[in-house]
Amino acid sequence: MPLWWPLLLATLLFSIGVYGVLARRNAVLVLMGVELMLNAANINLVAFDAYLPDALHSGQIFALFVIVIAAAEIGLALAIVLLVFRTHGHIEVDELRALADRDEAPEEVRG
Amino acid sequence: MSALLVGMLAVPFASAALVLLIGHRSAGAGKGIAVGGEALALALACVVAFGRLGGAAPFGHTYASTAAVGPPIQLALYVDQLSAVMLLLVHVVAFLVQVYSLGYLQHDPRYPSYSSLVAVFTGAMSLVVTADDLWVLLVGWELMGACSYFLIAHHWELPEARAGAVKAFLMTRTADLGLLFGILVLGHRFGSYRISTVMGDIAHGALQLDSLWLPALLFLAAAVGKSAQFPLHTWLPDAMPGPTPISALIHAATMVAAGVFLVARTYPMFTNSTSALTWMAGIAAVTMFLAAVYALFSKDLKRVLAWSTVSQLAYMFGALAVGSWTAAVLHLLAHGAFKALLFLAAGSVIHAVGGATSMDSMGGLRSRLPDTFVTMTLGFGALAGVVPLVGFFTKDAVIGATLQEALDGRQVWTWVAWALFASTIVTAMLTVAYCLRAWLLVFFGDPAPAAEAAEEPSWTMRAPLYLLALPTTFGGIVVGYPELLFGSAHREELLHGVLSTVVTVLVVLVGIVVAVAWARRRDGDLWRPHPVPHPEVDVAYDVAVVRPVQRLAVLTRFYDREVIGGWVDAFSGSARGLGRVLRLAQNGNVQAYLMVVVVGAVAVAVAAGARA
Repeated sequence: MPLWWPLLLATLLFSIGVYGVLARRNAVLVLMGVELMLNAANINLVAFDAYLPDALHSGQIFALFVIVIAAAEIGLALAIVLLVFRTHGHIEVDELRALADRDEAPEEVRG
Repeated sequence: MSALLVGMLAVPFASAALVLLIGHRSAGAGKGIAVGGEALALALACVVAFGRLGGAAPFGHTYASTAAVGPPIQLALYVDQLSAVMLLLVHVVAFLVQVYSLGYLQHDPRYPSYSSLVAVFTGAMSLVVTADDLWVLLVGWELMGACSYFLIAHHWELPEARAGAVKAFLMTRTADLGLLFGILVLGHRFGSYRISTVMGDIAHGALQLDSLWLPALLFLAAAVGKSAQFPLHTWLPDAMPGPTPISALIHAATMVAAGVFLVARTYPMFTNSTSALTWMAGIAAVTMFLAAVYALFSKDLKRVLAWSTVSQLAYMFGALAVGSWTAAVLHLLAHGAFKALLFLAAGSVIHAVGGATSMDSMGGLRSRLPDTFVTMTLGFGALAGVVPLVGFFTKDAVIGATLQEALDGRQVWTWVAWALFASTIVTAMLTVAYCLRAWLLVFFGDPAPAAEAAEEPSWTMRAPLYLLALPTTFGGIVVGYPELLFGSAHREELLHGVLSTVVTVLVVLVGIVVAVAWARRRDGDLWRPHPVPHPEVDVAYDVAVVRPVQRLAVLTRFYDREVIGGWVDAFSGSARGLGRVLRLAQNGNVQAYLMVVVVGAVAVAVAAGARA
């Protein structure tokens, strides 16, 4: 299998992920975009591991680390999304602008 | 002796500090310290002074000296006959003023600060008359200016009191520059700031005549400012909103007397400089006449007395200008006695009619205020030069000296001397007129409504009047024997038989004219209050000094606000504008931030690829 096949797949996945992160309003879909980007990176790691003669297979080990970190990250992020939904009643990312630099003090977050 | 002298100078300042500390807590203690401290200072001054009168040698002592570059500045004191009589005058008047103030300011909440300022004033004047170093003299001189500022502004809630205080301070301060520069010139010329050394050098140094015209004129400017002579005469009448005992102190013993004292102290310098003497004679001639005219038409009792002070001070300067040192100093002493008496008596009149100073609100007070009437009559008599009283002898000595100078013409230009002589005669006649008018308006005629319930004040206010009436009545004896005070060095012919007779005849004639005017008067005053053509020196100062300074202030404010402030505002404004632009990026939309990151990363990657 030539190397560029998995690389093409990874590029497509990463682009979809970037699109999701930048363009989607729903926070869950944004997080899915992040996962797509991470997994595109994993494909790259595994593909190059297979392509390059490495006795220790550090690419695959690295991919395992990324999967663990992605699992932890998605757990934390979904908890945040849940809290945002409870406090704001929605999870639209572009509506969450409490940290914008304004002249007046930002509107207080209601519990 | 030297410790005694320092003690005499320190007591007023110490009592002033104590009164300020204690007076607000305990009124009785404050009054006790104020009067007791002044009594102690008076006793010390008597001890110091009586040893120096007559032919005694002067006492000088140097307490400390600087070792800096140039002539040394020395903390040195010097008491001769002149200092001795001045000390007696200052402390007697100050003591009587303190006693008088007990009654006059009985219910005044500002009594502690008032009496401590009076004490500082007295101490400063003592320092001036005993200083042997010109810088020490300057310290006392300026301290007096500051004290007079505060005391004139005693009623600082009145706008005219504030304005009068500021005017007095500014005008005397401006003139004081003359003293400052004069001191520098003398120190440069003689290599010493010691008055006794410098005057000794001048007296024995066989200097070229008129070589000291510059320091003499500078000192004259300072004396003219301090003693309110033309053209700096306008501050003294405007200082009248101050309490009346303060007017007595300023007019009789301290502030204005310092100008005459300065000239008398540095007299060798003036006799060397005939141009300064000629200026002095001219100034005196103009001042005494002008002031007498103002006094003649003034409605306000205190202003009449203030203008009479200006006029009498001009007599002293006139005597000094024609070389009659003894006549000038004797007139200074006599004037100190009777002017203190007049002001304190006027204070008791004003107190009795409820604070009004206009003579319209007085009248018919002769039977109501018998003690004040008797003493004030003596005071007015002395001021007018009625025969047995002290003012007659001293004023006659001055007039005689001016006539002598006009005939001989040794020191000042002849026509100036003649003008001075004519002015002294005319002013003497005007003095009689305004004294008689004020006396009649206050004590005779129909009483004004406010004057009907008038009562004599307490004994603390009456006793000083009688005590001052003594030298006013019997002081003339001294004029016959000036060597009792000044020793044989200042022996002058002070009694002028024929001239005194002529002057007395003129006095009587003027008295008759005023009496006729009084008998034929229709309404209250003797003559209509004519608007006197006033030489508008205040307007001249306004145009020449006040308005340019105000314009400069406007310009400075414009520069500060628009130019300097403009730069600061421009910097802050530009920073704020830049911040407003940059803030647009911080809109809180996380996805927009990420977009920037992604686009940036892509751009970096593309650039890196293009280079590779």
